[in-house]
Amino acid sequence: MSAHIDGSGDRRPTAGILALSMPYQVVAAVALAAAAVLACLHLAMVFLHVAPSNTVTKQHGQAVDDWIYPEFEQNWKLFAPNPLQQNVSVQVRAEVLSDRDGSRRTTGWIDLTAQDVEDIRGNVFPSHTQQNQLRRAIDWYGNAHDEEGRPKGMRGRLSEAYMRRIVLLRIEGAGARADVGGKVERIQLRRTARPVASPHWSTEKRSTESSSRQMPWWDITDADRSRTETSR
Amino acid sequence: MTAPSPAPVAAPARVPFDRKLARAAQTVTSRALGPYQTAIVRIGFSLTWLFFLVREFPHRHEMYGPDGPWSFDLARRLIADNRAFTVLMWSDGRLWFEVVYGLAVAAAVLLLLGWHTRAVSVVFMVGALSLQNRSVFLGDGGDNVVHLVSIYLTLIRCGQVWSLDARRAARRAARGEEGARKVELTGPALWVVLGGFLVAATWFSPVTGEWWIYVLLWVLWLGQGLWWLVEQYAPGEPRVLLDVLANLAHNAALTVLMAEVCLIYATAGWYKIQGSRWQDGTALFYPLHLDYFTPWPALSELLASSGIMVMLLSYGTVIVQVAFPFTLFKRKVKNVLLVAMMLEHAGIALLLGLPAFSMAMIAADAVFLPTVFLVWLGARAARGRDLLLRREPAAAGLPPQRPAREAGGEPGGEADGEAAPRTLVG
Repeated sequence: MSAHIDGSGDRRPTAGILALSMPYQVVAAVALAAAAVLACLHLAMVFLHVAPSNTVTKQHGQAVDDWIYPEFEQNWKLFAPNPLQQNVSVQVRAEVLSDRDGSRRTTGWIDLTAQDVEDIRGNVFPSHTQQNQLRRAIDWYGNAHDEEGRPKGMRGRLSEAYMRRIVLLRIEGAGARADVGGKVERIQLRRTARPVASPHWSTEKRSTESSSRQMPWWDITDADRSRTETSR
Repeated sequence: MTAPSPAPVAAPARVPFDRKLARAAQTVTSRALGPYQTAIVRIGFSLTWLFFLVREFPHRHEMYGPDGPWSFDLARRLIADNRAFTVLMWSDGRLWFEVVYGLAVAAAVLLLLGWHTRAVSVVFMVGALSLQNRSVFLGDGGDNVVHLVSIYLTLIRCGQVWSLDARRAARRAARGEEGARKVELTGPALWVVLGGFLVAATWFSPVTGEWWIYVLLWVLWLGQGLWWLVEQYAPGEPRVLLDVLANLAHNAALTVLMAEVCLIYATAGWYKIQGSRWQDGTALFYPLHLDYFTPWPALSELLASSGIMVMLLSYGTVIVQVAFPFTLFKRKVKNVLLVAMMLEHAGIALLLGLPAFSMAMIAADAVFLPTVFLVWLGARAARGRDLLLRREPAAAGLPPQRPAREAGGEPGGEADGEAAPRTLVG
């Protein structure tokens, strides 16, 4: 290739910028510069997005966010800085209007996470509905609520509606995994965190005491099942 | 062609640096680099996404359907806020949902085969973005990589080898002049259909998607049309210019893709260094005891029971992830780490029950595989296919698949590094 790279060789290249005449070469050169600038700018933005908060992001964080969100959002803190060291599970109990005799009763705690875990055991390709749906929903719920359990803005309220619909899909109706046998009128969620015990070779003493947090009772409205109803 | 070519862009090539610059400019404008690497990335990601879509087929309504837990209405409220792009916001009809899911599957198959790669890669991106953005709270790292790479792939000429496009180009070249003159109708037909979709997309742009997505789609679509026109009516310099522009987009996007993979590992590694569990060498123990990531509890327990093993793997992971970007300058070390990372991901697929994530990461890693290995792999695959189909080796009939540009008879367009493949394939 070097033989005809400088244009003074006997053979002219048939491709690339050197194969073009002046006006076309200008276009190609401008495009080359634009591509280089755009690629560098994009990489700089992605870098600032994944980097820890720093001098630049403190001053220009909004510009970075505008560039990145929503399509280039990414999070590669995979099991970092520390891996999750507790098993988080979600239980629900419901106030149900019985289908058979119209009586009203409150169910015991139903472990929704246990359903997921049962499905994942021995599964070479767990579905996102088993591995991610509830796990990420409760995680998001936690992030979208403050310490006192109040929703933070619209996303907080969306996460509540999402949780209600996930729960209903799993406990109400004939197709549900744990059918409560009636119309669910109210539900209460409980999030339980059970720390993983320290390794047996470690001298560290870690409490493996579970801690639970109950959420308030939520009324179930038609909005929580409107569309699921029609699809059944 | 017009007047004789002037001296290289920058200056007369007397100073070595200028010469280098000119040579670099010629390289990035004359060739779409890494034909085998980009092809394997295309194949890897389309296969990953295809596996995923087929596996989730029974769950598709619950995941992305209008009636799922993340209902159309909830998604609409979130997307009004974050402006993510998803054609599933066009309608809450179930039929439309099935069509989109079906198109996403079809695009994955066609991208795998390399059929009208550029157009299909755009459909692939639209499919992936549409499903993932419809239910953002369902994804994990694997979806995230597919999301990013599907965008970059639209700018990458990823069908130069191992594709139906490459086969078509080779056949046309074999037929010579008369073959090149033959007008094909599939491309223009596809273009018209996609144009209809594009108009619809633009109509719905107030509902979903940021402005740049539409600019990208329009530029790609108009570019394809222009390409066809130029090919028919102005095969001289305008055609060379278009090729230059396509090569530039390819090389820039490929650079971004490679840097993106480095950023993934750098982020994963450098943040781990700061964690106490990665420092005391017990980190791996904990995921092996998380209910959501232990499909085979006995196996996880077996691995986690050895303190030495857990520490070696924990330290090894951090070292490899942090070191990888720096080893790119040293070929041999890079290849060793690449193998280590791919093996680790294969292990993760089984042990943590994350096959889709692992496949996506392996496909991303593959962009760094050496050409010699990929060519060898391609030859083995071709031989296997021939044996399987009980037919004569391809070499007898058609020329082996090579970059389309080369098949087109470009003289001296190949670098030394790619001289070796010819003997291996041929």
